[in-house]
Amino acid sequence: MIAEKSHTAQHIIEQISAKASKVNFINDSDLTKALMYLENIGIPTNKDENYKYCNMDALFKKEFKNLDQKLIEIKNVAEYKLEDAINLVVLNGHYSESLSDKVILQGLHLTAFSDLDTSGKKLISSLVNVESDGFIALNTVFSGNGFHLQVQKGTVLHMPIHILYISSSESEALINTRNLIEIQDNAEAQIIEQQIIIGKGKVFTNYLSEKMIGANAKLNSCLFQNEGSFGYSVNTSQVQVQRDGHYDNTTITLGGQVVRNNHNVALVGQNSQAHLNGLFSSKSNQLVDNHTLMDHQVPHCESNELYKGIINDKSTGVFNGKIYVRKDAQKTNAYQSSKNILLSDDATINTKPQLEIYADDVKCSHGTSTGKIDEEAMFYLNARGIGKESARKMLLASFAREVISKIELDSFRDKITALFENEL
Amino acid sequence: MANEILEEHINNEYKYGFTTDIETDTFDKGLNEDVVRALSKKKNEPEWLLDFRLKAYRHWLNMKEPKNWAHLNYPKIDFNDIIYYSAPKQMPQLNSLDEVDPELLKTFEKLGISLEEQKRLSGVQSNIAVDAVFDSVSVKTTFRETLSEKGIIFCSFSEAVQEFPDLIKKYMGMVVPYTDNYYAALNSAVFSDGSFCYIPKGVRCPMELSTYFRINSKGTGQFERTLIVADEGAYVSYLEGCTAPMRDENQLHAAIVEIIAHKDAEVKYSTVQNWYPGDKDGKGGIFNFVTKRGICLDDNAKISWTQVETGSAITWKYPSVILKGNNSIGEFYSVAVTNNMQEADTGTKMIHIGKNTRSTIISKGISAGRSNNSYRGLVQIRKGASNARNFSQCDSLLMGDQCGAHTFPYIEIKDKSAIVEHEATTSKIGEDQLFYCKQRGIDMEKAIALIVNGYCKEVLNKLPMEFAVEAQKLLAISLEGSVG
Repeated sequence: MIAEKSHTAQHIIEQISAKASKVNFINDSDLTKALMYLENIGIPTNKDENYKYCNMDALFKKEFKNLDQKLIEIKNVAEYKLEDAINLVVLNGHYSESLSDKVILQGLHLTAFSDLDTSGKKLISSLVNVESDGFIALNTVFSGNGFHLQVQKGTVLHMPIHILYISSSESEALINTRNLIEIQDNAEAQIIEQQIIIGKGKVFTNYLSEKMIGANAKLNSCLFQNEGSFGYSVNTSQVQVQRDGHYDNTTITLGGQVVRNNHNVALVGQNSQAHLNGLFSSKSNQLVDNHTLMDHQVPHCESNELYKGIINDKSTGVFNGKIYVRKDAQKTNAYQSSKNILLSDDATINTKPQLEIYADDVKCSHGTSTGKIDEEAMFYLNARGIGKESARKMLLASFAREVISKIELDSFRDKITALFENEL
Repeated sequence: MANEILEEHINNEYKYGFTTDIETDTFDKGLNEDVVRALSKKKNEPEWLLDFRLKAYRHWLNMKEPKNWAHLNYPKIDFNDIIYYSAPKQMPQLNSLDEVDPELLKTFEKLGISLEEQKRLSGVQSNIAVDAVFDSVSVKTTFRETLSEKGIIFCSFSEAVQEFPDLIKKYMGMVVPYTDNYYAALNSAVFSDGSFCYIPKGVRCPMELSTYFRINSKGTGQFERTLIVADEGAYVSYLEGCTAPMRDENQLHAAIVEIIAHKDAEVKYSTVQNWYPGDKDGKGGIFNFVTKRGICLDDNAKISWTQVETGSAITWKYPSVILKGNNSIGEFYSVAVTNNMQEADTGTKMIHIGKNTRSTIISKGISAGRSNNSYRGLVQIRKGASNARNFSQCDSLLMGDQCGAHTFPYIEIKDKSAIVEHEATTSKIGEDQLFYCKQRGIDMEKAIALIVNGYCKEVLNKLPMEFAVEAQKLLAISLEGSVG
């Protein structure tokens, strides 16, 4: 039986080609490869092991039949900005200089892709393999004009950078957002990313971010996803950490009809480390799918993962974490934990914590558990005069706090805590 | 030092690699509808069974060989280069042991399997009834009379087809339909023999039942089918063992095992799989593609799989339990050892459908040499399976830096009252553990045997005693001194 080839990718290409910006910052060979990939393999279906629980092909056929791309220009984004940060705004896939704060910090460079010189352009698409995933290929072909953010050697930024991704459309639209973040050797930075949808049209945003962390550099990042019921997204983060580098990320998913996160970290320098944390809360018929890949390429690296989910109503949560230890990566320490709470009889959680290990002197483990709210804890609180509803909220808030507390910026952490607890 | 010991182990001869020189009745190589018909005719099978085989064969033709999803790497199998039927030449009906070809008796004697009913395994008291399968046919089933006094049916599959067609018709394909997967479809079309076991209502089987599989002829594939039915309140413990001669070619073994447990019944199925694993360069060895599945059909049933996998070049095997009845229990205990170029992708599926169902998975993987050892499992809690409970633990031990250990657990939960836990670890034998043993005067080899046995203890404890002894020895041989 030969599976019938899907033409979703062709359909998308035909519809958005006319309105898409002409990409001139990605090299021709990658462009050709990406087009070939879309032609031959296309948008992943649930037959693709990586998209087993998240059939994107079917989603496009059902929800995005007509990509009108009637994008709206938002003029005022003040309410979403953070006071104690440098705010950068990406509107419908393009970096908006007028909406963003001026960058005047020493050692911090921000350049729109279209303004990059040859050596800068070379960095784009250097971490991702365009032939590994339909969405990377799609983004490569139709990427909006994103930016290259560079924290130069030895620079320690004392002010966090806040990247605000805003998508807005009157009708069905597909937006390809892309950026490249480069933290050079011995530099340190803190980045907060927020994804927001404004408007009444369904928007599929295909985010792609390449993050390079240099030797002894440090990046602490937080991604807050709250796109609401019109938001559909795939978020691919491809991170590379050099010797003694340190990468920390916390992903909080509060809203979004379909949210798929592909978080791939490659530890390529010895003694580097990565910590991935995630928290999601899903409702109605949402789908939140978190995929992580921790690629230990060299010895003496460490990784930690903690993902938590609260799944309510008819929603579905997915966690697929893979720890990949290459043959030479001896003395690896890798840990992974996934904990989930199902709140409703119609909720579903699919987890697949994978270990693929080719080195013998390693310590790797993963654990996952799924259950309901602990009845004994509930009883304990009830017995002390705390009502069922407040006890429930209290227990869920504490379940979530383990992840939320990893956010470094105080004001943002408080904001997320309030938003999250409000949802319970 | 360590390398020397490892070398020594790698050069270890496969103990059961001899061949038996015996006159056989063999089909020509190749597979087509005529082969299926001829096979059925040879077995004097009723019309309905031939239909079943043909349906399966036609379905198989339309299926694609699965290649991508398992963490295995093996050459393409040429299904037309396999002999689908090979049987020792003998008289049609055996009434006593004297009529069995003495060469065959010697073979099984050499394997430590006694077909004489009074003999017992190495001084252990309990009785074991054996169904011995040699290439494509069952040569002898022991203790049939003793068992039939209790109403227990234990015979070869072919005999069961003739004598108990209603039971076979009712249960065959119930748990593993011929459409299930590629190898199950192939087996359904060309299965040659196997064992059938039926324990009637309320009967506790007084002895261990066992099937021993032996591949002998060159170029043959072995396709057998085991069907175990435990009626209400019945209990049976079932053992399976297997070996094959050393050959340069890869031989295919594609079996189906189906277990049906009715209300309050319990079935314990243990396997010590020791097919020829190929030589140290990965030449030869058995390709083991087996579909094993049990169903707890009614309330309070229990099915337990225990396996010790040390053989085969390729192992592709997922003994599963469908927990349909309320309060039913499924268990899976596994030790999988791979060495040299062996590859194993094995695990289980626990499908929770009934209420208050429970399952336990304990999997211990040990990889050495240049082998790859994967655990692949599914725990599925269906909607309405309230208060389902699962605990899984998958540990991997790596010996040497050329091997790989992998874990691919799938956990799908659709009920909020379910409690599911999964944990997995990968590590090597701790230097501190070795040091502790050594400084107490235990030499390296013994220390490793001790630690590995301790590591596997949770699983070995679940084996029936006779098997546990065998399995422990097997582990010791497979791994002595693999780490230093």
